[in-house]
Amino acid sequence: MTSLILALMSALVGVLLIVLIPGENKKLRNSIVFLSVLLALVFSWRTGLLVFAGKSIGLKVELGRFVWSLRPDPLGVVFGLIASTLWLFTGVYSFGYMDNKEKQGSYYVFFLLALCVTLGVAFAGNLVTLYLFYEFLSFATYPLVIHERSPEAMKSGKKYILYSLSGAGLLLVAIVLTHHLAGNLAFGAGPILEGLSGPGLNWLLLLFVLGFGVKAAVMPLHHWLPSAMVAPTPVSALLHAVAVVYSGAYGIVRVVYSVFGRELAGELVFSKIFLYVIVFTILAGIIVAIRQDHLKRRLAYQTISHLSYILLGAFTLTPWGLAGAVFHMISYSTLKITLFFCAGIISELTGKSSISKMKGIGRGLPGTMVLFATGTLGMIGILPLNTFWGKYYLMKGSVAGGMWPLALVLIISGILNGVCFIPFIIKAFSGEKNQPAGKTGKRGYREYALFIPPLVLTIAAISMGLLPGMVWPAVQAVVDWFF
Amino acid sequence: MWPLTGPFVPGFFIDSLNLIFIIMAALLWFAVSLYSYRYMKVEGRSRGFNIASLLTLVAVMGVFLARNLLTMLLFFELMTISSYFWVIHRRDKEAIRAGYFYLFFSIIGGLFLVLGIVFMGAATDVLPAIGSGAVTPLNARAFNWSMVFFLIGFGIKAGMVPLHLWLPHAHSAAPAPASGLLSGLLIKVGAYGLIRLGEFAGWGMEAGVNLKFLGVILLITGILSMLLGVVAALLQSDAKRLLAYHSVSQMGYIILGLGISLYLGAEGVLGLLGAIYHVLNHALFKAALFLGVGIIYVYRKETDLYKLGGLWRQYPVTAILMFFAVLGITGAPGLNGYASKTLLHHAVSFLSDKGGLWAVWLEWLFSLVGVGTTASFSKLYYLMFLAKPAEEDGIERLVNKKFVTERKLSGMQAAMVLLVISMVLLGLFPQFFLYKMAVPAAETLGLSAETALAGFSFWTFSDLAGIFITLALGVLVCFAGLKSGAFHWQPPQWLTLEGLGNLAFGELSLFWGEALEFYHFACRGIADTGKNLAGSLVRALRRFEEPGSLTAGKSTFTGISADLFLVFMVLAILLILFTLTRPEFLDLSILANLSGN
Repeated sequence: MTSLILALMSALVGVLLIVLIPGENKKLRNSIVFLSVLLALVFSWRTGLLVFAGKSIGLKVELGRFVWSLRPDPLGVVFGLIASTLWLFTGVYSFGYMDNKEKQGSYYVFFLLALCVTLGVAFAGNLVTLYLFYEFLSFATYPLVIHERSPEAMKSGKKYILYSLSGAGLLLVAIVLTHHLAGNLAFGAGPILEGLSGPGLNWLLLLFVLGFGVKAAVMPLHHWLPSAMVAPTPVSALLHAVAVVYSGAYGIVRVVYSVFGRELAGELVFSKIFLYVIVFTILAGIIVAIRQDHLKRRLAYQTISHLSYILLGAFTLTPWGLAGAVFHMISYSTLKITLFFCAGIISELTGKSSISKMKGIGRGLPGTMVLFATGTLGMIGILPLNTFWGKYYLMKGSVAGGMWPLALVLIISGILNGVCFIPFIIKAFSGEKNQPAGKTGKRGYREYALFIPPLVLTIAAISMGLLPGMVWPAVQAVVDWFF
Repeated sequence: MWPLTGPFVPGFFIDSLNLIFIIMAALLWFAVSLYSYRYMKVEGRSRGFNIASLLTLVAVMGVFLARNLLTMLLFFELMTISSYFWVIHRRDKEAIRAGYFYLFFSIIGGLFLVLGIVFMGAATDVLPAIGSGAVTPLNARAFNWSMVFFLIGFGIKAGMVPLHLWLPHAHSAAPAPASGLLSGLLIKVGAYGLIRLGEFAGWGMEAGVNLKFLGVILLITGILSMLLGVVAALLQSDAKRLLAYHSVSQMGYIILGLGISLYLGAEGVLGLLGAIYHVLNHALFKAALFLGVGIIYVYRKETDLYKLGGLWRQYPVTAILMFFAVLGITGAPGLNGYASKTLLHHAVSFLSDKGGLWAVWLEWLFSLVGVGTTASFSKLYYLMFLAKPAEEDGIERLVNKKFVTERKLSGMQAAMVLLVISMVLLGLFPQFFLYKMAVPAAETLGLSAETALAGFSFWTFSDLAGIFITLALGVLVCFAGLKSGAFHWQPPQWLTLEGLGNLAFGELSLFWGEALEFYHFACRGIADTGKNLAGSLVRALRRFEEPGSLTAGKSTFTGISADLFLVFMVLAILLILFTLTRPEFLDLSILANLSGN
């Protein structure tokens, strides 16, 4: 239990310390950030390993009839570990990226706060806690979206808040209804709505899906995500490709398995209808991505497409499908962050953000583009990258669930992912050497901080691809928990 | 501690079948390594090329030696990535375009393999290990589909028509040693996959599993590949493209042989034997041919046949070596091509005895393709080495002393000598390979060759007569074609697959453009309607902001808006009525079941 609290507190303590630092002491602040994130990582891993070992840890605070509880189970732990691990990498990357930017204090405060809140979402033990932290996440990440304070950023921030809060409002209604129906909101061994049935539950599921689906960028609730790309790249990478959007996807998986349960969800006709929405999101997301010229927006639409892989796995309602969803969560995050980091390196070192102007940058930034190419191969989902395993199990789940066309959809999506980025990579390596302005090839602290996180993540991704046993126990634990 | 590999247990094995393949791979790569030192001096960037070559070698060996399907898939993908760098080696526009074709087709092939594996997993409890014999599926439909997906995936790699579109571009854009390996080895990976596919399918003999359709598909695509490849090759003027189309055609032979054994089952074992033998033979002579063309490229920087000629004088050694390679591919007795083509011809004859009229046609087409092959290679050899050089260029070139003459023989010729010697040995002693290597391979795969090969001899009179007639006819066709200029015919766009693809793509782009326009139009319409509605709503609501006053009796309320008050009253009445009349507004009958939760 102590690990659990400490995991959340380290980030908060970090926040407090940074707020208290007088003046603009960059080294001290960066060290505090690094330490906080590292401690959060250590403690969440301790928590995670305890949970995987079968121990049940939790923290429950009852204020009258209001029960606030943190109780990590394998699914939550997977999400929490992904978040805390990648937060460390993003932290290091931020040291490089934000080095010459303004308002770093504000950035790091909310960076750490968002970590704490994300862990809260991951480790939440009942719907109320989940909802609280989920709402809080919108607020904690809003200042990061509007960081630049430009008119475009403010507009995106407004959109972000409006979408998030509307979704959360619907979520609150859904939670109230669930409490009314079942009286209990805790994530336990069995689903909350066990034993209930009836067509009205379709509407309940719809409300939940709408509520979480905003953050999970299900079309047509996805519009906030491409606009949110105006945020600094580490924010786009971590939050809007991993943490925030995963909280939405995690929420939906949680709802399907812990609130409704497999059997009930299978009976509801909404599950079948929603599969069509998922398929639409997967395909339309990547097709729209192909038409984007702005690199980060293209990545954003690809994110929208890939998030629905997780939802697809959840809604196949088979153990393979869930395994694929969890695998995809783990593997996709590493590579998507890498892609965003590379986009950030490109925009920082060359000043370019439009693909049409990026011909030949691979000559000046070969390492970055090689990482980008590896990431793209991962998005297509081929060995030896780890995303293959996610797709493989998703396809197995689809076939096992009797929904074999979904396997074809995944294949088509893979091909479209290739169409989306392979020409860009090839153009980047061809043509004249597009030397980044002013770059003399010297490598400073900044370049290392920018380059090493994606490099390590890519190596990790390839290792996970060749040795999926590294993450297999986690996947197994989640599947065993629910099946 | 859990095993690090989890669901993925890499495994390797060797049996009589992949033994043949890896010996072939090793031999070819060795030859190319002798060759590429001198060659890459002309192309440049040899370090990248060598790295790509070695990585591809690893990947190819991995595919051949893989024990389970996921291992094979891993090395298949690695092979795609590393061989891509061969194709784009020259970095010019044509190479990059060829690279796109190659990369996308290969990735799509890999994705189809994944589909095949997934459906195979649905058909059987545990994924079958490669080389473990026929599969008895629990779910026949899933198994059939998995076979189809594997067929498509491996067929793309093997250059099976109509999935061959990438092949001519990729094999002609790559440097010659790479083309030799691409044509010699990498497409054989596809053939290897198809052979293993046949093994999984039990060669169509499994009781209760109807897999004859696989045999039919392979027969059809095999003969189509043979025909299309040869016809397209006859029309080519670039030597490397010609050879690339011949790869399609010769792979058609192999696919046809596999189709025969899948279709006939145990009786069709000759087809399997012929296919395996032809895999080896084609690797040898196709590599030799590409290497030969590459030698000429090194000396003359030219691969266009109509710009070359009369080279036997300057490069006699290369000319002789190329002659042997040409003899090999056309099936002249004494070289290896004769052996495998004879086996395949026997298989096709057997099929035409057993099958219907269509099988007789198949046999005729088989011979026709043989004639076409001879014609095409006569054209190649004649134009390259024998014919008079194109006059204007010829004189200039003789004057220009920079062109190398063949006094300095290098590793290039050594490599070709190695291949030619192998071809000659295999040609003079075909029984060795057949009985010592192909038959054990067939037996491992589940087909016994004893009855089919009883009384079989390579050197029967009818076979020899047949091949000499084919060769003679081929040479005649060649001269007729050259004299009449028929080889310059350009097929109309709609007749070629690529042209069809371009046309379709054009139509699709138009359609897509129009669809997008409509979508934008609809969006604008919706947005405008929405804005209008919102505008009117806002205007209506604005009225509430005007302060007014309400007088009731003696008191006067000021600052309130009468409209708003009215709205609130109505809402309140509705809400009260609603709650009073429908206490169970959720319409779920479960409230009765809940007990004090």
